[in-house]
Amino acid sequence: MSALLQVENLFAAYERADVLEDVSLSVERGSITCLLGSNGSGKTTLIRSILGLTPPRRGRVLFEGADITSWPTHRIVERGISCIPEGRKVFPRLTVLENLRLGAYLERGPEVIAKRLDRVFAVFPQLDDRRAQLAGTMSGGEQAMVSIGRGMMSAAKLLLVDEPSLGLSPLLVKENFAVIRRINEQGTTVFLVEQNVHQTLSIAQRGYVLSKGRVAVQGSAQELLENDRVRQAYFGQGAPR
Amino acid sequence: MSIIAQYVMNGAMLGMMYALVAVGFTLFFGVLDVIQFAHGDVLAAGAFAALAVWLGLTRLGVASPALLLALVVVAATVATALLGAAVARFLVLPLKGAPQLNVLLVTLMMGTVLRESIRLFYPGGSQPQLFPALLPTSSVALGEFNLRIDNVILLAAGTVLIAGTSLLVTRTRLGLAIRAVAQDEETARTMGVDFRRIVLLTFALGSALAAFAGVMDGLYYNEIFFGMGLLLGVIGFAAAIIGGLGNLYGAILGGFFFAALQTIGAVALPFASAYKDVFAFGVVIALMALRPKGLIGERTSERV
Repeated sequence: MSALLQVENLFAAYERADVLEDVSLSVERGSITCLLGSNGSGKTTLIRSILGLTPPRRGRVLFEGADITSWPTHRIVERGISCIPEGRKVFPRLTVLENLRLGAYLERGPEVIAKRLDRVFAVFPQLDDRRAQLAGTMSGGEQAMVSIGRGMMSAAKLLLVDEPSLGLSPLLVKENFAVIRRINEQGTTVFLVEQNVHQTLSIAQRGYVLSKGRVAVQGSAQELLENDRVRQAYFGQGAPR
Repeated sequence: MSIIAQYVMNGAMLGMMYALVAVGFTLFFGVLDVIQFAHGDVLAAGAFAALAVWLGLTRLGVASPALLLALVVVAATVATALLGAAVARFLVLPLKGAPQLNVLLVTLMMGTVLRESIRLFYPGGSQPQLFPALLPTSSVALGEFNLRIDNVILLAAGTVLIAGTSLLVTRTRLGLAIRAVAQDEETARTMGVDFRRIVLLTFALGSALAAFAGVMDGLYYNEIFFGMGLLLGVIGFAAAIIGGLGNLYGAILGGFFFAALQTIGAVALPFASAYKDVFAFGVVIALMALRPKGLIGERTSERV
């Protein structure tokens, strides 16, 4: 396997609390790689830096070997990175269909878009019945489906998934993890950011634990599960969540 | 009866102009949360560009009224679209992240620069300029009321433009991107939307609509002057606010609502019609006090 995404010696800050100090990691092509860490460990800043939303102060982001550091976000997305953002971020006053359509914004062929819509509706039949509903009027669980479906609409090579389990019931979390695994099996590399250690490590092959802006531990999912420091680093901020 | 028909027609013409201006304000606010206070003066610049092109073409010997009209409208539209996009590119986007009051101030000053430039640099610009009648001036008698053909054409064209804008915003890929940027700029960018491009296109679109309002104003009154954008800008802004800033249909309704107030002020009230603006703005102020968020609240309606 080769690295699809490489982060090299990244320094960045977003809203003061969430700082990265010299973070290096790589995501292998075809893998599910996870990033664990508590709030304020720098996860959000890392995702934002990769997407060009928060330009890093130092360091590089390489995608398929090309330096995409501080590119405009839409060009990074064009290059093949898409995301399922933290907090779902559906467009509240757009319909379900319009939200999904935006996921395939860069795709212009109507047949291709129709095909991808079918794929989303096959996974989330509930959305098929509610195409015309405004996303803002849906429940949190339904919005999560829209958000994940929207991520599936792109033809991205790398999908960044930011805390998909946040605020969802255990059953929905389980379903969503199954969907993420399915997306991966269909050929999309996944970089999964999570706080939910056990679920995450059960589907990921490799992982990194971020603590106070640094990579504290890295290794295979198995190694992370067995690592004493994982719990320690994970609960590094004190109160367990 | 014919007097009433006359006033309704006049109100419809004014309402159409105001709606066209208000749609611009609402579009700009939608994508960038800013008030572009030079909008009215961009309109005036468009009207003067139209006049200048007409003068040039007639000197070149172009005589066909239809061709003249088409070229004049195209010139005004292109000029304002470029001007509006330039305002966005060089004044508004660089101030992104700065306090909104700064954008307001900068565009207000830009408006003054445009207005004064027309006054100083357009030949005879300090005086009102005669605007040519490019539409047929004939009329159809409906009982005692004479329905002017040029007015009908202007209203129809305005309706087509507004309907076209609405379709563009609600049915096209560009419109989808505009609405996505309006609701959540950052997430829109992560969908691959080129934010800057959408902002520039939105400003070009809104400004082009204002150009049409400017030409319409010139054709209707047969006269334009350098300060024409001031009142039209304030009224268009008021209309957009009445309709709930950011709401496309609200802005259109707001434009016609304001024109209706002016018409009522001119016809139905026991004082001279010169007080129509005082009356209309007075009502708007009272409405603002009663419903601070606009008559059609943004929360319950679909924002652009």
